[in-house]
Amino acid sequence: MIGVGTVFRRELAAYFTSPIAYLIGAAFLLVTALVFNSNLTLALTQEPVNPAIVPNALSFFLIFFGPVLTMRLLAEEAREGTLELLLTTPVTEVAIVLGKFLSAWVFYSLLLAATLVYQIILSNVTQPETGQAIAAYIGIWLYGGAALAVGLLCSALTESQVVAAFLSVAVLLLLYLGELAGQIVASIDMANLLRRLSMPGHYIGSFASGLVRFEDIIYYAGVIAIALFLTLRLVELRRLR
Amino acid sequence: MIQVENLCRRYGPHTALDGISFEAAPGEVVGLLGPNGAGKTTTMRILTGYMPPTSGRAVVAGFDVQTQSMQARAAVGYLPERVPLYPDMTVAGYVTFWAQMRGIRKARTAAQQALEQVDLWDRRRSLVRSLSKGMRQRLGLAQALVHAPSVVILDEPTIGIDPQQVIDVRQAVRGLGVKHTVLFSTHILTEAEQVCDRVIILNQGRIVAHGTPSELRATLYAGDRLYVQVSKLNPEAALKALKSATGVARVEPSDGGYLVYGQPNIAPGRTSQVRSRRPAG
Repeated sequence: MIGVGTVFRRELAAYFTSPIAYLIGAAFLLVTALVFNSNLTLALTQEPVNPAIVPNALSFFLIFFGPVLTMRLLAEEAREGTLELLLTTPVTEVAIVLGKFLSAWVFYSLLLAATLVYQIILSNVTQPETGQAIAAYIGIWLYGGAALAVGLLCSALTESQVVAAFLSVAVLLLLYLGELAGQIVASIDMANLLRRLSMPGHYIGSFASGLVRFEDIIYYAGVIAIALFLTLRLVELRRLR
Repeated sequence: MIQVENLCRRYGPHTALDGISFEAAPGEVVGLLGPNGAGKTTTMRILTGYMPPTSGRAVVAGFDVQTQSMQARAAVGYLPERVPLYPDMTVAGYVTFWAQMRGIRKARTAAQQALEQVDLWDRRRSLVRSLSKGMRQRLGLAQALVHAPSVVILDEPTIGIDPQQVIDVRQAVRGLGVKHTVLFSTHILTEAEQVCDRVIILNQGRIVAHGTPSELRATLYAGDRLYVQVSKLNPEAALKALKSATGVARVEPSDGGYLVYGQPNIAPGRTSQVRSRRPAG
């Protein structure tokens, strides 16, 4: 599609030219390193290593990393007035939204790829379950895509990056806590439904233990599609105001 | 190049544009003049394809802005009132980006030409955030010209920059009229007179006057007002002489002299047949 590549390249370059992205990257690696390190210490004495430990930790930390990566995407354009100019170029809203989403997903993928260093260390000290690691990485990659799509949607709702970030943390937290609904909802059916709607509900039970299931992939693809569709509608709505 | 027919735009109950129609020929510089909230920006936003009109039709470079939006948008260069900037990009990168967004194949070459045109090529490696306000305005202009559009739409390009830069921007806009059709908005009358071939005056969403600057002067000018002091003639003779002068509508004695009102709709300066001193203020 015309314009996707142009928007994508500009946004990806914007990640690398802004100091915030490097700070996020550093925090991302620091958190995962701490988790990996403590797991390695435990593995020496108590239990076999879990090759999915870093992706598992990310399933929680993405609630915070995702929004910081996406808060800028549309809120800043709206505030700086560049969105108005973007919408007068012969490029469709679909291309603009897709380009932005893909740039965030690719930047996240690069961060995720950097954590593969832990797998290399692990395979030097023991023999981890490679299949489980691969499944967990595929899972957390999709999970991250869904979190970023939700973040992009929140960024389209407001002109303030801070509001966008808080909003998407709140939404992601709700989607995260659905997993725990079983503990407070009396009806088993209801609890099951909530768990199936939650983001970790499609990761912890399957990808994290080495299972790649079609339904889980469809779930994350669905979240991405719905969030991007709503984002698109919100951008189109700007023309009418 | 631009045809607007009966254009209306409502924001909820508020009517921003109430059926305006006008045209602009190729190479013409047309000014939209009016107070804030008159509908200038709304008109421009419709013509650039940013927002759809509530009713009516607008055709830009032969393309209807609603049914052939993409072609129309490709033919328009737009500088919004607040220059849209990406502070973290370089000057050259910024202009190249907009060239690519408008589907220009040799975007870098086009960006170089546009930057040379606005005299910013020396600053191509600087970050946009480091530019002064006047430079940012010129950068916005470069962005609007980079794809060699047949129609250039500039929303109040002289707001908030220093007087020398205002003169530069006016000259630049004047110069654009050679290759492009220019629609330009301002709320300063003299600016519209200096820059435009034709002026459209908007108020509360309607066109209240339309014509070349000199035509508008002739129809809208309220007449000169002069203060005259006479020392040697006696008062009655002086009054009589002043009243009989060409172009004088009315004379009132005032503060030891006379206030002379010129007839309306006469170009300025023509009333003054008597040696005169303008009143202060």
